Amino acid sequence: MNDRPELFRGNRIFLACIYWAFVLYVFVPLILMVLMGFKDSRFIGFPIRSWTLEWYTGVFADTEVLSTFGYSIAIAVLSTLISILVGTWIAVLLEGRKFAGRGLTFGLTLLPALVPGIISAIAFRIYARWLGIEPGMGAIVWAHAVHNVPFVVLVVMARLSTLPKSQIEAARDLGADPLITFLRITLPYLVPAILGASIFCLLLSFDDFVRSFFLGGYEPTLPVMIFAMLRSGMSPEINAIATVALVLTAAIGLWAERFTRRMNKER
Amino acid sequence: MTYDASTRRDGQSAGSTAADRTFWGRLSAWGPYHALMRLTTASPRRQFLILAAFPILWVLTQHLGPMLQMLRVSLTDAYPVAPGVEQSFTLDNYARFFGDSIFWMPFFRTLTFAGVFTFCTLIITYPVAYFLARHVSRKNQMLFLLLLLIPFWVGEIVRTYAIMILLGNTGAVNLALKTLGLIDRPIPFMYTSFSMGVGIVYLTALYMLLPLYSALEKLPQSMNEAAADLGAGAWTRFRRVSLPLTIEGISSGCTLVFLISTGFYATPVLLGGPSTTVFAETIAGFFHVAGDEWPTGAAFATIMFLAALIITTVFQRLMKMLRKGESA
Amino acid sequence: MAKLIYNRRRFLGTAAATGAALASPAYLRRAAAQSGGEVNIWTYNNFVPEAFKEQFEAETGIKINIRLVDDQGKQFNLLAAEQPNPTVDIMTVAGHRFLQFIDSELLAPLDTDRLSNWGNINPTFSESDWATINGHKWGAPILSGMEVLSYNTDYVTQEEAMTWQTLFSEEYANQTAYIIQDMMSIVMLMKGYDGNMVAYMDDPDKAAAIVEEAKNFLIEHKPLVRKYYDSGAEFQQMMINQDIVLGHSWNGPAAALINDGFPLGMTIPNEGSYGFVYTYNIANNAPNPDNAYTFLDAILASPEIGAAMTKASGFISTYKGADQYLTELEKKSTSFPEEQLANLQFFRAEANELKYSLVDPAVEAIKAA
Repeated sequence: MNDRPELFRGNRIFLACIYWAFVLYVFVPLILMVLMGFKDSRFIGFPIRSWTLEWYTGVFADTEVLSTFGYSIAIAVLSTLISILVGTWIAVLLEGRKFAGRGLTFGLTLLPALVPGIISAIAFRIYARWLGIEPGMGAIVWAHAVHNVPFVVLVVMARLSTLPKSQIEAARDLGADPLITFLRITLPYLVPAILGASIFCLLLSFDDFVRSFFLGGYEPTLPVMIFAMLRSGMSPEINAIATVALVLTAAIGLWAERFTRRMNKER
Repeated sequence: MTYDASTRRDGQSAGSTAADRTFWGRLSAWGPYHALMRLTTASPRRQFLILAAFPILWVLTQHLGPMLQMLRVSLTDAYPVAPGVEQSFTLDNYARFFGDSIFWMPFFRTLTFAGVFTFCTLIITYPVAYFLARHVSRKNQMLFLLLLLIPFWVGEIVRTYAIMILLGNTGAVNLALKTLGLIDRPIPFMYTSFSMGVGIVYLTALYMLLPLYSALEKLPQSMNEAAADLGAGAWTRFRRVSLPLTIEGISSGCTLVFLISTGFYATPVLLGGPSTTVFAETIAGFFHVAGDEWPTGAAFATIMFLAALIITTVFQRLMKMLRKGESA
Repeated sequence: MAKLIYNRRRFLGTAAATGAALASPAYLRRAAAQSGGEVNIWTYNNFVPEAFKEQFEAETGIKINIRLVDDQGKQFNLLAAEQPNPTVDIMTVAGHRFLQFIDSELLAPLDTDRLSNWGNINPTFSESDWATINGHKWGAPILSGMEVLSYNTDYVTQEEAMTWQTLFSEEYANQTAYIIQDMMSIVMLMKGYDGNMVAYMDDPDKAAAIVEEAKNFLIEHKPLVRKYYDSGAEFQQMMINQDIVLGHSWNGPAAALINDGFPLGMTIPNEGSYGFVYTYNIANNAPNPDNAYTFLDAILASPEIGAAMTKASGFISTYKGADQYLTELEKKSTSFPEEQLANLQFFRAEANELKYSLVDPAVEAIKAA
């Protein structure tokens, strides 16, 4: 694009404006949230008359909040791994293949995403009891994993549909068997989609309240704790907890980005 | 995509000598692995069965199982069953929806809102994704994308309350407008379709942004330049080149966002007004308020689910036709 | 008597004390002979004061597992889904919701003879007519709440707030909010009917006509309301953001705003209002019933524990003498003049089946209108 800057400059400036306006849109509420964590009051909102660090120091002093955070992260990561594995497998089966029952399988695949949260939570709860799964971390991971599979399938299928057939055929011509073709050609091509889908899954799991509530035991996940705290009002403390969780996850995300970038360089 | 093991029965196909030195080469030459591959890929049929077995087992037990439970509940007259009560099967719960027009309003409102908000999300995020994929250097793309992802790590409830203190009568926007002397009285943004839209687009933007980005990212720049050489203006280039090639991304993004929007509960309830009740709220009411209305709730949920399924299927079909039409 | 010390640490949104050195009352020493184990509780945030929890665990060796819940309906659903072998020993049910739980055989009757501290509860609550169903007590009252009219004192006068009519006046158009289910009962009361519908149990036609009238009234006034809300947190946020200046609310969330210095007042209007009581209940087939009784007896032991619950929630303690442990502002925010209290009656459950079979569809209709 650098050969002909004059051609696209107008567009570029226009689009850049939209991008930064969008950044503003997503960040202003966030900034408000962080700001409110410093308010010396039991409630958030304007005007702010005095400031305090108490809420933030409180988060770090409270081991319960930190362990709840860790618990939520663990659930998110485990359920994401399962969803990615299952979802990719289903996507490979469904994309570009014609077989009897394909439409039905696709419909069934999307099912968990189509059912409203409260319904799916209760359905999972009844089903879990029927299967003999005890409420607790395992049950939450299971419910989140099942719920997130459709999102993985949709994202991975979209990418898979654009995989040049010639690459597969070339690998075959070189004598690679289907598994090796998949691992060497298809999978690397899917990496961006899998990364994107992982982000979806982690987010959906990390933010899920209703399934975690119905399938959880006596240890709350972060959203369950926040919901319960909300009963006594939307306090700056909840903002402080959310901010700390945000900073920690952002740090993990940035580290992951660095890490993959380094991996890419080494390759 | 089938593979016939017989073509390389002797292990002598082209390139194998070079490949033998790599991990993959060694793996495929390793006896047990080779035997396994021969066994599993002996015929296209067997290969397919092995590929399909696990996914089909999974969707049947994990996806269908819980829903069949829900369907069963929706067809009963009482659930959970109180001791000593005989449970019987009935279609009354479905009849209740079709028999009473007060339920239709939130139902159609939900579908309309989901459609409108999906479209808004698309319009807002497309240029953002376009900018990211086409005008940001590859080195920085991931960073710019991550920047946008950060806010999505904040839970739905906390973000929704942040929007309340943004749009409230003493919220940040009104405060700013007042300080600038643009208004005397606060503008009541909250508890309208507007505040609801701001909240929902905020929550769904990501699910649109990522599929769009990954579709646009693959688009070769050379095509745009070629079109420009032929004298196509910016709009024509967009309509004739970028748009057709990103239909796949638009389709999967819209499906995701539509599905997510129909299921939203907390945000519409918190940000909406007295006349913006959504169907998820109606359904939740049957589970929250009274215990013996689970069957009705389950029936209504089934109806919602079928509607969402039909709409997304039709939409996907349309997109597929559109794609075929464009490429023809 | 235990001396709970509240320090400045307000973490978890309350004045909950942690780690304070506590003298243990005799009842706990006796109980300490018990075998330990655990007790599983479903309750709202801060309904079991942190200091009490630590002391109880240390004295009895019984571990308290708390599962936080945020509304009555979810508790019911969760318990119903867990039947017939619940994981829970103690739940927190509102008194007027008892019947639903009892009918589904989810609660065990409470044996008050096993609670030596039962007498510490104000008889207004422990011996009230709603508290006895089928000849049994079903729960230990801990906090009481009521439906009040709350107003921003900068904009609304107390006289105006003495009648529910103000909530529907043109003057405050689009500056009001209410919980629609609760408002149905109040509108019936405003119109001179029995909002509990107990009086119409034998006359379903009359009941239906009354609900219809209340429904039409609310539909007619729908253009004037800013928001039908669900949770106390929403109400508080609307007040702070000045999206509303007047609204129906429960006293707890309103008291919390007052205690934070917000210019808020609340009244029990002249037409009257309804009160309700949160109780601790023992689940049917509870896994640890003995520990549940030990817990209940312990938490009823001291008015200071009751005061701690009030400080955290804004609801009024059912314990005798709890108010002596409150600050002046806290006392003010949790008390009403005698003449207003005279207009208060409790929600009753007897006619719930009739009432909600009429009110729930009416609420849907109002929302859809």
